[in-house]
Amino acid sequence: MTLIRRIPRQHLVAGIVLLALILYPVINPWQPYPQGVLLIAFLLAIQASGWNIISGYAGYISLGHSMFLGLGSYTAAIIALHTGVNPLWVAPLGGVTAVVVAVVFGSVVLRTRGHAFVIITIALLLSAQIVATNWDGLTNGSDGITLELPFWSSDFQNIPFYYAFLILLVLAVLFSAWIARTKFGTGLIAIREDEGKAASIGVNTTVFKIMAYGASSFFIGVAGGVYAYYQTFLNPVGSFAILGSVLIVLSALVGGRGTLYGPVLGAFIVSLINEAATVYGGSTQSRVLILGLILVAVVLFLPAGLLPTFIGMYRRRHPVETEYTDQEGALKSAAIVRDRLPSSPVSSAPLLEVRGVTKRFGGLTAVDNADLTVERGSITALIGPNGSGKTTLFNLITGNMQADSGTITFNGKRIEKLAPWTRGHLGLGRTFQVTRLFKDMTVLQNVVAPLPDGRLRTMLADAVSGHEAARARELLGIVGLARFADQKAGDLSYGQQKLVELAQVLMLSPELILLDEPAGGVNPSLLGRLTGVIRELNQAGVSFLVVEHNIPLVLDLCDPVHVFARGSCIASGPPGQIREDPVVLDAYLGDDWRPQDAHA
Amino acid sequence: MAQFVQALALGVLIGGIYALMASGLTLIFGVLRIVNIAQGAFLILVATFTWWLWRATGLDPILASVVTAPLMFGLGWLMHRFVISRIRGQAASMSVLLTFGIALVIEGVLNIVTGNRFRSATPSYFEESFRVGDILLPKAQVYGFLAAMVVLGGLYLVLTRTWTGRAIRATSQNPSAAALVGIGATATAALAFALGSASAGVGGSILSVLYPFFPASHYDWISRLLGIVVLGGMGSLPGALCGALILGLAETLTATYGSLQWSTLVFYLVIMVVLLARPQGLFGARLREDAV
Repeated sequence: MTLIRRIPRQHLVAGIVLLALILYPVINPWQPYPQGVLLIAFLLAIQASGWNIISGYAGYISLGHSMFLGLGSYTAAIIALHTGVNPLWVAPLGGVTAVVVAVVFGSVVLRTRGHAFVIITIALLLSAQIVATNWDGLTNGSDGITLELPFWSSDFQNIPFYYAFLILLVLAVLFSAWIARTKFGTGLIAIREDEGKAASIGVNTTVFKIMAYGASSFFIGVAGGVYAYYQTFLNPVGSFAILGSVLIVLSALVGGRGTLYGPVLGAFIVSLINEAATVYGGSTQSRVLILGLILVAVVLFLPAGLLPTFIGMYRRRHPVETEYTDQEGALKSAAIVRDRLPSSPVSSAPLLEVRGVTKRFGGLTAVDNADLTVERGSITALIGPNGSGKTTLFNLITGNMQADSGTITFNGKRIEKLAPWTRGHLGLGRTFQVTRLFKDMTVLQNVVAPLPDGRLRTMLADAVSGHEAARARELLGIVGLARFADQKAGDLSYGQQKLVELAQVLMLSPELILLDEPAGGVNPSLLGRLTGVIRELNQAGVSFLVVEHNIPLVLDLCDPVHVFARGSCIASGPPGQIREDPVVLDAYLGDDWRPQDAHA
Repeated sequence: MAQFVQALALGVLIGGIYALMASGLTLIFGVLRIVNIAQGAFLILVATFTWWLWRATGLDPILASVVTAPLMFGLGWLMHRFVISRIRGQAASMSVLLTFGIALVIEGVLNIVTGNRFRSATPSYFEESFRVGDILLPKAQVYGFLAAMVVLGGLYLVLTRTWTGRAIRATSQNPSAAALVGIGATATAALAFALGSASAGVGGSILSVLYPFFPASHYDWISRLLGIVVLGGMGSLPGALCGALILGLAETLTATYGSLQWSTLVFYLVIMVVLLARPQGLFGARLREDAV
């Protein structure tokens, strides 16, 4: 009994519903109509679960996902037609076709951020219909393909299809659940929340998105093969119908996109509505209107979907106790960081060398032929007035922007042309001036998300338990936030978010960490801990490059100090020397400033 | 040779009309950062209304844009005020879903009110052509092109010469800076949405003569327009013009030398090739994202 109680409630409910659905045809075998309705609901749920991977987890909306059902149908039907094999046995090949098409077109469209994807998904669906209509030789054109009737006795009605779709649905949900557990899944959510940030913590956003698109299509393709056999007839207009996509989008949206069971729940609701609209609403025409109105209403009034809304209501009635920063726990174990540091050869060559780097924004030269060196094992500071190009230089070093000219060498390797995630994999981590945590993810998920390398094995590692999660907990311990692991990152205070961001960067096992104004908006006691953590990590072998306006902090913590003005370095040296340098005083304080003012 | 010149001329005419239709989409995207999936449905809605007006009163369908453009301006403004503005500040994907829903509602209403069948407005000049040397230029295409150019020119003047236009361009470049210098973001957005809808008002009237349409045709149109905008670079007006001309030419050349069925596909193929080489589109600029 205690075992059952330990299963999370939603899984328990899902299990009970599944059991009921398995038993239903046994208990009530002689009613084909409700079975037929359920079967179509399963099919829709399979599609919505798939859609959820690219559009729910990764946030890239597809309006043409029903295409994969059609591709699967046509694949199975064409093979069956030409070889005489039963379509049911080649249905998995439908999944393969779907994945191939998704990966090929995804590789073209998903290289960019933003809106091209949604547009191409509509175009793809319509193109598929055009191809199926016009490629007579393969698809039999608009006449369509007729398949043989099921091989089993008609006494069984559609019960075998019922179970086939139910099995596929269970597999699709398990697959989705598995993805959500991996670092791949965490990376997808990171992409949805903040794609630029995701790239800076080692997430190869391009590959992630393409893989997600492929993964989202597989079970739909397989289901398409089965569906072709179920219908025994398919034609271009029916197989590549945009209304199918509408149903998918609506299901995931109603149930709650980005959740595991939301799309399934939504699919059951939408199927019922759709069935009712077909039976009572008259024609297809009014169905379009009804579905459109529901879509508008859901976006306006229930954007999160039913499941997250319910869970939110439940949480509000059963609040979790707030916990506070663990002061003693912090800093106990900075050695953990050292464990995973790459044992780099002890060399005297600088860790990071920036030479002659320039970046222009239109007519504005933000970074002008700048040089900068960070020695191995140092805490180097970069100071300078606002607008002097410090943050832009950071962006050029970490790859958030590409330099117009110049070279950047990290650990003896030229990196100025590399993608941000590759630089992350090489051991370059950064924090942002204004923290950019993934606010809807938990603190632990935030820290688990970074990928220290680009290997598939790392990508598919478990993010919920296992060594990656354990390491994330250790890192949270270092910054004293272990007790906040399961809170939403967005609920933390600003200073705490800065610490989480530091832990996040440490997950990359970086050799060099770029801190963009670590002290900004942090209260003095928290700042004390922050500098403590930085010193501790530095002793463990991590180098730092710090942009900061808090000059006392810089002079206390850093050596050497570089001063930036008007896009390039105007002075460098130990803190004591910089403090007295007239050039620096001039750049910071202007011509009117006289030393005696400071003592006034 | 004559056939080639003919195809080129037709391509340019069609491209000009596409450019007008796409300008609304790109204007709305530029200011609101919303991909208005309902733009195609706007076109079909207007085409249907124009057809009805033409049948009822005999008003020339292309001239009818004098009526439809202000109507769509008003409808666009109301739609922004009561529907679109409600999701401001939410994830961009929500706006895609919302405008998709609006497109479905329009399609559904048209289905119920007018029935699911093909229509086309056929004024007296419908099958006549101008003859220039060996080339035949269908009158409907020429009138449509001229109307499109007049409206595009007017739009260009509004955007560059008036305070309102400058406000729209400023907002599309940097909304927060525009707000700081006293440009009301909501009012500008409403205006841009209304202007974008009004351009669909003219485009839809032209469409009613040039292409047969039925309620679900809006999917074809929106994917065509989106293709143009992606090709030109999202939010860029010169980009939309250029993309429209390229795709208009690609389409007519395929229809002339290949087959009509495949011409739509060539359309998408061109987009894919461009995206491979230049993911941000022809005129799409990569702006700095760090300075907010």
